[in-house]
Amino acid sequence: MEGRDKYHRGSSRSRGSSSASDVDPREKIKECCRKLIAFMCTQVGVGALVFGYTLIGAVTFMHIEEKGQDTKEDEMNRTRAEFSVKLYRAALKTNGDGINIFSRETDKVLQEYQVAVVGIFQHGYDPQDAWTFPAALMFSLSIITMIGYGNMVPRTPYGRLATVIYAVFGIPLYILYFMNVGDALAGCFRCVYRWMYNCSTENNEEDPPKRVIVPSTACLWVIAAYVLTGAVMFGAWERWNFLDSIYFCVTSLCKLGFGDLVPGSSIDASNHANQTKLVINFVYIAFGLGLVAMCYNLMREEIREKVKEVREDFTQCLEDTRVRLMESCNRCRGIEDDVIY
Amino acid sequence: MERRRSVRRQRRYKRPWYKKLKEYVRQFLAFLFSNVGIICLVVGYTIAGSFIFQSIESHRILEINGEVWRNRSLYAQKLYNVTMQLNAKVMDKETFHKDVMSVLEDYQKIIVNFSRRGYDGNDDRDSSAQWSFAGAFLYSLTVITTIGYGNIFPRTPQGKITTIVYAIIGMPLFLLYLSNIGDIMARSFKWIYANLCLCRWCPGVAKRRAERRMRREHRLSLEYGSESDEEDSQPSSQPWEISIPVPQLQPGGSIASDGAVTSYTEGDESYDVQSVTVPLTICLLIMVGYENKKNCKVSASSSVSRYICGGALLFCKWEDYWSFLDASYFCFISLSTIGFGDLVPGDKIYGRGVDFYKDVLELSFVFCSIYLMLGMALIAMCFNLMQTWAP
Repeated sequence: MEGRDKYHRGSSRSRGSSSASDVDPREKIKECCRKLIAFMCTQVGVGALVFGYTLIGAVTFMHIEEKGQDTKEDEMNRTRAEFSVKLYRAALKTNGDGINIFSRETDKVLQEYQVAVVGIFQHGYDPQDAWTFPAALMFSLSIITMIGYGNMVPRTPYGRLATVIYAVFGIPLYILYFMNVGDALAGCFRCVYRWMYNCSTENNEEDPPKRVIVPSTACLWVIAAYVLTGAVMFGAWERWNFLDSIYFCVTSLCKLGFGDLVPGSSIDASNHANQTKLVINFVYIAFGLGLVAMCYNLMREEIREKVKEVREDFTQCLEDTRVRLMESCNRCRGIEDDVIY
Repeated sequence: MERRRSVRRQRRYKRPWYKKLKEYVRQFLAFLFSNVGIICLVVGYTIAGSFIFQSIESHRILEINGEVWRNRSLYAQKLYNVTMQLNAKVMDKETFHKDVMSVLEDYQKIIVNFSRRGYDGNDDRDSSAQWSFAGAFLYSLTVITTIGYGNIFPRTPQGKITTIVYAIIGMPLFLLYLSNIGDIMARSFKWIYANLCLCRWCPGVAKRRAERRMRREHRLSLEYGSESDEEDSQPSSQPWEISIPVPQLQPGGSIASDGAVTSYTEGDESYDVQSVTVPLTICLLIMVGYENKKNCKVSASSSVSRYICGGALLFCKWEDYWSFLDASYFCFISLSTIGFGDLVPGDKIYGRGVDFYKDVLELSFVFCSIYLMLGMALIAMCFNLMQTWAP
């Protein structure tokens, strides 16, 4: 965006110098830029900005991390060849001895192999095409929303550096999105709620339209419904049980992101289905975080109201107590004075 | 005299116990929401959580191990079949290699899948080593701070339910902690900044600065009359004056040439400390500096632990493992609450599964927890300071 702005500015300057037109073009361009920036700060603009940012991030990370795959792939292949030789030796040794001894020997070798594979995996092996586009999209989203699933992590030093830089710019952008979308959704929800409220209470009389505050239980119902929908959806796709999918939804929306359960992460499933799942997961989480922002917005309003009430009550109570205390003190002093004198 | 004492005693006696109790409860609640109380509350909540999770999760042998074991025997069977087939023909090294390689590749896929789900390569270990007290403590902390490393996660249904409930209660608590502590730290930092860096204590500098500001204000008021009026009043910053005792400076009568100047500077001195805006760069510097301090701390803690363990070879490796970039990456990912969990303190030792280093592991977990609590409060402070820059 900055580049484009610069380009516009440059072109305007050149045009201004070449032909002194009736309206100052620089002013016009400036106005355009201002409008563009103003649009970018609206809800739609921020949404588009976040989406574009994740797209850029996805492409970048795909590009960076695909290069890092090769060395680990080599290492894995080498280990496999090594263990194949070991197996050959074991097979030669136990050739005539029957299945039991053979199994025992093989089991030992396989166990070693397994430890080696896990070691390599923990140092950054991913199966071939882990960094597909939807997966990288999910990864960028998990950075800027601070979820951080951790099922995919950058393995190369460049990837790590890029992650840090990406997060530094992405997180404020996301917070902007959070605030904006929260406001917009809260406005919509408030409208809907007011409309329903008016519908349900219309029949008694024409009240002056007073301010309706959405109760926090309504927000909680909305969130609960969203979580349940997600739970049913993911449960059906991934064949998780119900508890697991609720656990996944709640930990995602709370931005915990353990990464033990991530949709579309198993290797066995077909690649194409996985990718659609990832994209839908992306949409689910992006919208869900907006909903959380909405609830935050609405509940803050109610809580503020409540706190004000409580504070008023409290000050009144204090005042009351003080007055009573003073009275009783005075009375006591009066008694004591009577006693002494 | 005696009667008077008796009257007083009677009065004390007459006071009903429930009122006293109510007073105590109120005091206790007020204390809980004070600053010390909130720290205690967060720490206590985390400790309670760690006990709960430990009791739920620890005594349970991983069922995933059984699955891995079954798979392995299956593949041993497959390998036997391959060998027998080759035996019927001629035992040729090349073909044997080729066949075995394909079997091993399948096996490798399965292992990678398992280790995705948290399998760590060792058969004969139950999860009790992972859910030590320190591990559970770090887990609870990552839940309420919404970091969520994911190196340890609950595997039982009860553990999952507990996590959901624990997070719902714990996260607002931690937010309260952050806002409270951040506010205090910001206030004290402002105070330090105003008094040390801007030399409020040194009268000459303060006087000159006040003069300079006065001149600037004057010039501004000539240019835009309305704006300077707003700045002069500043009603919002007035209450701060009460909260922190500020050493009052007397600018003295040296600028006695016009009375307006002195009166202005006096007003300036009194409210200025809390309305000082700390430059953005300093906030950023603090954040970056804190991250880099951890790097030193990692190496320091590892050297301390090496000292304890008497020169363990593993720790040299550990130290190598955390290069400078890695360490700062870890700090950034943790403090921005992203929490991938690819780098976690003590992870390397886990992979080896050595019980001997358990205490060292706990030490590093404890270090990490303290670092996180302090770091997030510090970041809250920085946000608090930066808020003054927002319109």
